[in-house]
Amino acid sequence: MAGFLSLLRRIYLSVYNWTVFVGWFQVLYLAVKTVRESGHQHVYSAVERPLQLAQTAAILEIFHSLVGLVRSPVSATLPQIASRLYLTWFILWSFPQTQTHILVTSLVISWSITEIIRYSFFGLKEALGFAPSWLLWLRYSTFLLLYPTGITSEVGLIYVALPFIKESEKYCIRMPNKWNFSFDFFYAAILALGIYVPGSPHMYGYMLGQRKKALSKSKKE
Amino acid sequence: MKVTVITRSGREIIKGGLDLNHSATVSDLQEAIHRRCKKYYPSRQRITLPVQPGSKVRPVVLNPKKKIEDYYDGKSDHLTVIFKDLGPQVSYRTLFFWEYLGPLIIYPIFYYFPVYQYFGYGGERTIHPVQTYALYYWCFHYFKRIMETFFVHRFSHATSPLSNVFRNCAYYWTFGSLIAYYVNHPLYTPVSDLQMKIGFGFGLICQIANFYCHLILKSLRSPDGSGGYQIPLGFLFNIVTCANYTTEIYQWLGFNIATQTVAGYVFLVVAAFIMTNWALAKHRHLKKLFNGKEGRPKYPWRWVILPPFL
Repeated sequence: MAGFLSLLRRIYLSVYNWTVFVGWFQVLYLAVKTVRESGHQHVYSAVERPLQLAQTAAILEIFHSLVGLVRSPVSATLPQIASRLYLTWFILWSFPQTQTHILVTSLVISWSITEIIRYSFFGLKEALGFAPSWLLWLRYSTFLLLYPTGITSEVGLIYVALPFIKESEKYCIRMPNKWNFSFDFFYAAILALGIYVPGSPHMYGYMLGQRKKALSKSKKE
Repeated sequence: MKVTVITRSGREIIKGGLDLNHSATVSDLQEAIHRRCKKYYPSRQRITLPVQPGSKVRPVVLNPKKKIEDYYDGKSDHLTVIFKDLGPQVSYRTLFFWEYLGPLIIYPIFYYFPVYQYFGYGGERTIHPVQTYALYYWCFHYFKRIMETFFVHRFSHATSPLSNVFRNCAYYWTFGSLIAYYVNHPLYTPVSDLQMKIGFGFGLICQIANFYCHLILKSLRSPDGSGGYQIPLGFLFNIVTCANYTTEIYQWLGFNIATQTVAGYVFLVVAAFIMTNWALAKHRHLKKLFNGKEGRPKYPWRWVILPPFL
């Protein structure tokens, strides 16, 4: 019974990882193609659907962590997924004026390369039981460049969206109301920008630590 | 006897060790360490027995009031203890005082002073009766807490790490400000008169019950704090282990029923979550200790914190 469940887990995770891999591959392909053929302003409309699908599917990963299907702790996956979903739905999709900005191109290229490497790495591990050392190297090295480019794009796009957020009053709850509650999406966005200040070095440092552990371990083997 | 004092990584903290009387207490040892190393006052020291490398068992912490030889079967002339620096410490009374002072001062500021103009709400402000009662209720609550800190509570540990001051004050002061902001807001919408009365009435009863629970807990410990764990008895403790937390949670529920703010309810949920974790640990500890063996009574079946849920 335990062997059967373990096999089921492997099949499920293989299917999951490879499916999302295909999604991100599409994003990268369409992004590069569109930039070269039509210009950076059209990248968003070309990648919107696969981006939203691939990124939103990642919510499942929180679930995988919680039930112990995978080893990664929830504390590591949650902030990552939170910032991705925030950008995807609450900035790009909600405020169309940001969609033609050049930072969208750098954003989706940074994200898609990272995810293609990550999902193929896990996809191979689940399906074949191992992943080639060059892929391991890629997984723990590309972030050195892609984290800064990705984070800069995220912060930049939130900043670009600010005037539109303030003007539209979208997602704001005003008083008076029965529950004596208020929410200002503009100030929440400022707070989000603030979180990037300690958050980015923390995440980068965490990945550096992971890199050291993973690459030294593979040297020993 | 000679005592060698080393850190967990094996480094000798007191060069050459210490010479102590055979009947010396752990407290004497801590004083001796402090004399050699001014920085490490006793409340900052955690002294444990050495453990086997690779052992998963939690190290035995030495109680300052006991004799050292009690831990070593009185057999040796040369002992080794493991030293850990707990970092700068403050007394629990100091910690609690600063945590509770914040809400006590911040809340009235939102009530009495024209702060809302800085949030863009200038002009007239009508104060509803419920807002005034909420002020009294809130301030009474934190005043009660401060009084209990100095006159009722008997602490098991004398001190707490300094870092807890920042962490705890951030928690209390932030939530205090948030709730004060919403309840005293110029655009605050009161609930019905009846709901307000039910809320504050229920809350007040729970605060009184909570005070009585604290008196019972106090009587379980002797004045010098050496009581150790006892089975709480009497009043609500007969049916729930952490009746003091139960009454505290219900007291906040009363406040929220009367004032109805999202901020207040979020605070209630977070506080209940924190207290539930403490309650589970305490309940487990009591059940483990009072297992009916070696002449100890068996811990009776009781709710942990919130009947009928847990």
